[in-house]
Amino acid sequence: MGKKKRGHPDVEDLLGRPWCYYCERDFEDLKLLISHQKAKHFKCDRCGKRLNTAGGLSVHMNQVHKENLTSVENALPNRQGLDIEIFGMEGVPEEIIQQHNQRIIQNFYTAQAERQAATGNPPRGLSGDQGPTKKIKYESPEELKKRLAEHRARVKAGGGIPAPAAAPVDGLSPAQGNPPFPPPQQAFPYPPPGVPAYPPAATGTYPPSVSPPPGGSFPPLPARPTVGGPTQPPGGAPPYFYNGAAATADELVANAARQGGGGGGGGGVRGDDIDQLIRMAEAGIKPARTGEEAREGGVQAEKKKKGSRMVYADTEVSPEERMAGLARYRWVGEGVVA
Amino acid sequence: MAPATQFEVAQPPNDAISAVVFAPDAPRRLLVSSWDKNLYLYEVAEGGEEASLVKTYEHRAPVLDVCFGANQDEAFTAGMDRQVKRIDLATGEQTVLSKHSEPVRCVVYSAQHSLLISASWDSTLHIHNTSAPALPILTIPLPGKPHALAASPSKLVVAMTARLVHIYDLPTLSTALATQPPTPPQPWQQRESSLKFLTRAVSCMPSDAGYATSSIEGRVAVEWFEDSAASQARKYAFKCHRQAAPEDEGGGDVVYPVNALAFHPVYGTFASGGGDGTVALWDAEAKRRMRQYQRFPESVAALAFSGDGKYLAVGVCPGFETGMEDYTGEGRTKVFIRELGETEAKGKGSK
Repeated sequence: MGKKKRGHPDVEDLLGRPWCYYCERDFEDLKLLISHQKAKHFKCDRCGKRLNTAGGLSVHMNQVHKENLTSVENALPNRQGLDIEIFGMEGVPEEIIQQHNQRIIQNFYTAQAERQAATGNPPRGLSGDQGPTKKIKYESPEELKKRLAEHRARVKAGGGIPAPAAAPVDGLSPAQGNPPFPPPQQAFPYPPPGVPAYPPAATGTYPPSVSPPPGGSFPPLPARPTVGGPTQPPGGAPPYFYNGAAATADELVANAARQGGGGGGGGGVRGDDIDQLIRMAEAGIKPARTGEEAREGGVQAEKKKKGSRMVYADTEVSPEERMAGLARYRWVGEGVVA
Repeated sequence: MAPATQFEVAQPPNDAISAVVFAPDAPRRLLVSSWDKNLYLYEVAEGGEEASLVKTYEHRAPVLDVCFGANQDEAFTAGMDRQVKRIDLATGEQTVLSKHSEPVRCVVYSAQHSLLISASWDSTLHIHNTSAPALPILTIPLPGKPHALAASPSKLVVAMTARLVHIYDLPTLSTALATQPPTPPQPWQQRESSLKFLTRAVSCMPSDAGYATSSIEGRVAVEWFEDSAASQARKYAFKCHRQAAPEDEGGGDVVYPVNALAFHPVYGTFASGGGDGTVALWDAEAKRRMRQYQRFPESVAALAFSGDGKYLAVGVCPGFETGMEDYTGEGRTKVFIRELGETEAKGKGSK
């Protein structure tokens, strides 16, 4: 499909963008940033003259209008000072740069996680079906009730609130994409004390760095209702999570065994025979995967259809013709035109 | 900057609006055609922020379109009763010019060629020469039902079902009408609409360079008449008049039809009005949205700039949606007039 590439930039691109010390806005290039600063922060409100720096504006105000400049206009509350000389990206204190980069990274991962959650697409650079499966939004009342009952039982028994369901299941762990910059830990020392700045962008929307589980053993998963299907029988084989391409040889073996085992013994069949393994891998896994893909494709197509709703959807008959057919407007006067 | 003000017209039509139009040479004179079988003539007060009803002209059936004729006292209407009528606005006298075999959807008048063109759901165009009423009417068969019609100084654009767009050359029509017996000329160009869905509105650039079309699927396309590859490469389409649906309804967009298009007579920018009740001003050259006005209470049904480009008339009434069994615009139909600031509709030009 000739799908358009989405314009979601990389972290590097984002970090490379020049930005304004006074308002934290970022720009395509330095020229734009400088003209922004001249227009927004270094413009004289008396005569409209645009100066190059806050100091320049201060001198201009003093000499031309006999006034004292006290603060930079349109600046964030903690960035209004005249003591720092800023021109473009020059003069920005090192710790402020650090803070800005932190913020950009955090926002990037938050946005990425949200996008993935919203679209169900895998992270960039990962092939096809490795990514998170689409979040299932719909739960029937019965399922909800059942989940509530389960939750109550758990709370009663364990006394604890189960871990949030979203993180590991949805596979949003940024570690998967091997990003060049580690995502910041949840609580990072920004903003500095006493500084009213940005709200920490949606804390905890992505998991605090979950490392992929070694060798196919899955982290404990909270009960998630399987929609439309029977619940996994307890015990015996581990719950089958189709996780796309097997990450490790062990998993491949396990997958093959599960596929080959059919309705029978599940985990019991451990393929020692390499030939059999290969056969299974060829015969079993591949078709299974394409089936899975097809199903996912179907779900996505359905979603796309649902995605936009046309208020008027008749592609042949215009609204006016429909209205003309209503008794209220119908013309009956002449019958057949003479 | 001159203040931009907006006011509501007193005594609006009682039912849905089919068209609004300003007189080309009298920028304060406004005609509104309505499904309540009337044609309304309004006059915007001099310097004031109000417009009052001057006269109504009753028809036998809903009026589907209206346009001004050679002067500010002449108008033509397209009727559900299959008639094309000339209305003398001063005396109220009505003359039937021609009869179609189905309701007449659109009328358009070309002052340069003294031609009146009517388009009907019987899939024909009727061409009248209003300066020589004795001449017989020229009937041009169309391959589909016409849904929108617009004329530029030298071209006529007809948008039909099945995404058909025919462009006629007005001088050719004029000569074809004068020959005896009149033979229907071939279209100057036949195109497929760049929009995949049913065309809703067409409007031509006053510069005679091209036209814009809009569809029921929240999209507007801008195209050029010139048939060169370079010129055709310039055409584009964009999405508009959409709204994000609430998450609990499955997300995605609610896509509204773009019911009305109007080019500004002076600056060549254009306005679009959609089922979402908004009007947006676009710069066709720079491919930019210049403004989006505050949401109107109902769907925007019709738009018109005055001849001097000073006023924008906006006809609003409930939009007809898929599956509606019952429709009425009663009590919810309004006409707004926006007095534009001096540079409000002026584009920045292409970059």
